[in-house]
Amino acid sequence: MKVAVCVKQIPDPALPGELDPTDNTLKRDGKLILDESDSYGVELALQLVEAAGGGSVTLVSMAPNNEVSGLRTALAMGADDAVLISDDALSGTDALGTAKVLAAAIGRVEPDLVLAGVESSDGYTGTVPEQIAAVMGLPSVGFAKKIEIGDDGLHIERQTELGYDDVVCPMPAVVSVTAGVVEPRYPSFKGIMAAKKKPVDQVTIADLGISADQVGWAGARQEIVSVTEAEAREAGEVIEDDGEGYQRIVAFLEELKVI
Amino acid sequence: MYEWAEEHEMLRKAMKDFIEAEIVPIRDDLEHGDLPPYDVLRKMFRTFGMDEMARDSFARRIAHEEAVAAGEVDPDEKPPGRPGGDPAFTLIPTIELCRHCPGMVTAMGVSMGLTASAISSKGTIAQKKRWVPELLTMEKIGAWAITEPNSGSDAFGSMLATARRDGDEYILNGSKTFITNGPYADTIVFICKLNEGNDPADRKVLSFVLDRGMPGLEQSPPLRKMGMHSSPTGELFLDDVRVGRDRLIGETEDVPAGGRSGAKATFQQERAGVAAMALGIIEQCLEQSVQYARDRRQFGQRIGDFQLIQQKLAFMEVARMNVQNLVFRTIEMSKAGRTMTFAEASAMKLYSARMATEVALEAVQLHGGNGYMAEFHVEQLARDAKVLQIYAGTDEIQTVAIARDLLGKPEE
Ligand SMILES: Cc1cc2nc3c(=O)[nH]c(=O)nc-3n(C[C@H](O)[C@H](O)[C@H](O)COP(=O)(O)OP(=O)(O)OC[C@H]3O[C@@H](n4cnc5c(N)ncnc54)[C@H](O)[C@@H]3O)c2cc1C
Repeated sequence: MKVAVCVKQIPDPALPGELDPTDNTLKRDGKLILDESDSYGVELALQLVEAAGGGSVTLVSMAPNNEVSGLRTALAMGADDAVLISDDALSGTDALGTAKVLAAAIGRVEPDLVLAGVESSDGYTGTVPEQIAAVMGLPSVGFAKKIEIGDDGLHIERQTELGYDDVVCPMPAVVSVTAGVVEPRYPSFKGIMAAKKKPVDQVTIADLGISADQVGWAGARQEIVSVTEAEAREAGEVIEDDGEGYQRIVAFLEELKVI
Repeated sequence: MYEWAEEHEMLRKAMKDFIEAEIVPIRDDLEHGDLPPYDVLRKMFRTFGMDEMARDSFARRIAHEEAVAAGEVDPDEKPPGRPGGDPAFTLIPTIELCRHCPGMVTAMGVSMGLTASAISSKGTIAQKKRWVPELLTMEKIGAWAITEPNSGSDAFGSMLATARRDGDEYILNGSKTFITNGPYADTIVFICKLNEGNDPADRKVLSFVLDRGMPGLEQSPPLRKMGMHSSPTGELFLDDVRVGRDRLIGETEDVPAGGRSGAKATFQQERAGVAAMALGIIEQCLEQSVQYARDRRQFGQRIGDFQLIQQKLAFMEVARMNVQNLVFRTIEMSKAGRTMTFAEASAMKLYSARMATEVALEAVQLHGGNGYMAEFHVEQLARDAKVLQIYAGTDEIQTVAIARDLLGKPEE
């Protein structure tokens, strides 16, 4: 059982982020960390390989400046190795360009299953996993909350607004994992010490047979025209409880038609 | 070493996440209730595989010792390297826990540190196998008992606890106080003097291993104290506790330096740990103080804009840098296979403990009335920090050790 997990390394959300005023993109020149929403995919991959009684988990990441800090965190959790695509030409790459690059890197790994987070915590386009599947010509299942390997392929519980769908899907496939569906493990002391020595295959777009005009600003079909601050949330209504407060809350919820 | 390496930062982050999720929510019960810290410590050991690592490295060390004993390996050959060889991997959990509950480190350090190493440094192979592994994994809780109601800094001189020979066995008597983990300990190292009817000053110091529930052994409930509430402290009473030679550490009365060296090595190890504890307390106090100096406004400005407040922050930062450097020094020395001299370890302990207390009290001052309220964490840390100047050798005793090293023994 060979699982490839797409992981994004992002600027630490706990630190104040900064936009590059020339192109309205997030500055990514500092240290990057593992996107928390990808830690669920890593955890699921590790569980699937354990359940299958063996195999490997390979991380695939595209990041500037050969950044490996976030990868090391996932390697410390137990992933076996990583492919890192880092290339100056990738600056400005849009979601589809990213998917092409990741797909090319995943192709080299030849996995039985590709996992990714539903969306990244810094970009939130939420389209890359499906685009990877399209580029690779693989089936795609989004919003998985549970994955099992059966004789007839993957058995996936796919979250929906009302509950979940049971999906059976042939392998290999690309599956995006909903945040919060598993408890990502803490890296063990041993894992942390071992992470330093695990192989990270650093590749450029040329290594993947991709030309510079297909990616970066040159290949991008999207442009960030402007950025505006999100509207501040309005102050909510505070209900003082005089013993009957619950009635007001029930009435409010009924008005919203949620109960 | 001038900063934490990448893997150290990863460990710090993982420890912080664990503490936020598992310890902060129960901090009130640990610090203001009587919840013992052992279950959550065990969970920490399991989560990070610290138990498994300790078991593995113990097994390797014992295999080496057995090979040496069987004459299969040259005794000068070093035991196989441990994967947990980087001392930062013990100091970082200490630092991070001390930001929240220094008492937990006291409880953990006495159990898996002092108690386990008292047995593993002087015990026989059979004794090590019998007691050490479960102490290292925190499955069993250990206590190390030397202090008595009338014997503290003068630990050997005034010691009244005794062992008397009785055939092949010994009868132990005496009372111990201020014993960390005393109320809950499963395994107790009891230090006493062999009474052969000779002058107490000439008596040999022997250490015995006791198990919870032995006839004649009483463990008191936790004592009420100023701080370190997440570390239960108690008294032990021994009334004719009968033990076989298998419980005498080393299974011999012929102990070097009359038995005083074993306990001394233990003191030294304790002192290095205190610097890391102090660093955790200082880091937390400084962080909370910087935040408060930014947020709190008086006289129409941030209190951080007052020079008197800035002076406090600068003092704390200098202390943080110095204590951190001392911690880095212990890591570097240990990696180089060197140990500090007794005086150097004393100097480090003296300085770190003082700085922890002074920084924590300044943090209380900077927080004003809030600093005196339990709702603000610096209140607890100030109470906790004070004990660093008392246990593991008081400030005064460290001072004496440093001066003696500089000047030689006092003239008669
Ligand atoms: C929270 C806590 C946990 C502890 N845990 C343990 C434990 O697990 N096991 C254990 O065995 N003990 C433990 N202790 C005991 C601790 O080690 C002693 O309290 C400490 O060594 C001081 O001894 P004492 O309390 O008898 O003070 P004393 O020795 O009576 O000292 C009183 C004062 O006199 C000063 N003084 C003493 N001698 C000299 C001198 N020669 N020159 C100048 N000044 C001097 C001291 O510095 C101090 O200021 C613990 C204590 C505390 C508070």
